[in-house]
Amino acid sequence: MASTCRCCTEEHLERVTGVDWAPNSNRIVTCAGDRNAYVWNFQPETGEWQPCLVLLRINRAATYVRWSPQEDRFAVGSGARLLSVCYFDPENNWWVSKHIKKPIRSTILCVDWHPSNYLLAVGSCDFKCRVFSAALKELSDKPETSAWMPRLSKFGTLLAEFSTTSGWVHGVKFSPSGNKLAWVSHDSSVNVVDMNSQDKILTLLTSFLPYTCVLWLSEASFAAAGHDNCPDLYNVSSDEVVYGARLDIKKEKTTDSNMSAMARFQKLDDLGATETGTKLYTTHVNCITEMRVVATTGDKIKKFSTAGKDGKLVIWEVDALCSKIAGLKI
Amino acid sequence: MSKNVNSTQFRTVDVDAYDEDQYEDDARDDESGVQEVADRASQVKQLLNQTKSKDALKLALQNPPLGHKDSNVKQQNYETVLSVLKSFRAQEIDAAVEDLSNVEVDVLMKYLYKGFTANPDKSASLLLWHERAVKKGGLGSIIRVMVDRKGV
Repeated sequence: MASTCRCCTEEHLERVTGVDWAPNSNRIVTCAGDRNAYVWNFQPETGEWQPCLVLLRINRAATYVRWSPQEDRFAVGSGARLLSVCYFDPENNWWVSKHIKKPIRSTILCVDWHPSNYLLAVGSCDFKCRVFSAALKELSDKPETSAWMPRLSKFGTLLAEFSTTSGWVHGVKFSPSGNKLAWVSHDSSVNVVDMNSQDKILTLLTSFLPYTCVLWLSEASFAAAGHDNCPDLYNVSSDEVVYGARLDIKKEKTTDSNMSAMARFQKLDDLGATETGTKLYTTHVNCITEMRVVATTGDKIKKFSTAGKDGKLVIWEVDALCSKIAGLKI
Repeated sequence: MSKNVNSTQFRTVDVDAYDEDQYEDDARDDESGVQEVADRASQVKQLLNQTKSKDALKLALQNPPLGHKDSNVKQQNYETVLSVLKSFRAQEIDAAVEDLSNVEVDVLMKYLYKGFTANPDKSASLLLWHERAVKKGGLGSIIRVMVDRKGV
């Protein structure tokens, strides 16, 4: 299916590091290395997107941005070691940011909102994954207490802090109900914690290259993708995380039967191996950087997409994967 | 005319210590102390004398002194592990690595890379271990060596 580029906008002065679309209010927020973020509003008369500058008040590049579930605020992570939560101020007709700084000690790589709209999980380069309260009195928030926030806490309160042994936290995601938190870090590990037992972190040290992003496919399983160029499925139970399956199966390697015995031995002599092994057998040919939900039925994901450094955008259908891969549990 | 400043003590101030941006690792807790490392060294030696190489390997890879302040302690443990690795014949390596748990494979990998840097020319036997360890632990175990902030 061919896709056309509908609209090209130029406003940022540096590399755009994050994009997020709010489906209900039809707004796009982008953040870039020029320390700015813009909120884009669609003008149906002209078919154009109108930018509105957001004052982030950061002195380093922005790295990640996400709209909250109710789309009244968004969070921007940056290299300035602080998180900017921005909301709209109708008096002055602009977006205002409030900072969460302590105790984040390095660049923020990923952010995820809890379904309740008031909690944020932040993964950063100081090897920690943290949960903060993002309840704003300016927006008359009335959050409910939960296991994540046992007492009503004001904006910026650190509610939980989890460490990995080492390795930057590349991706963090709340499960669909918000009860569990999963994160992937650069030491090739996947970690899950349940809000009711926060001292018990379920860690799996994988034998693959590190993952950069994670996406829950249901309450008990998630997909992680990264430097191995394909998504992998993991199943979560109450006391362990188990590897499910690799979600990408391309055809197997076909041995080159046309090579003569002489040529085979020559190659073995020259290169030390009969096959050069440079062909990749995955759909993506470079690191996957993002995974997003495309379609859901009820609370189960039907389709999700992955985008990578190879410039490809691939859409995966969960039902088709279930039928192709034997014994797949989602 | 400028006043002659006699004291040059300002030059000895460590400016980096006052830098807000400077990152410091969390307090390192030494996993195994001096005594434990010494005990382990003698126990491993005993096992090797009794040719119980597999048991010696498992014991040598327990509780490494990660990020220990005293480099002698780390060196001693490293030599213990190296003596065990060298005592294996090429054919036995496969079976030995198979028996190791995932954590032990990660520790083995750390010592292998330490061996590579210490003796880049004489690493043939270590490379053999490396090949088997990668088969078991995958690329993830190598990544964990690279990412580890507390050296072994």
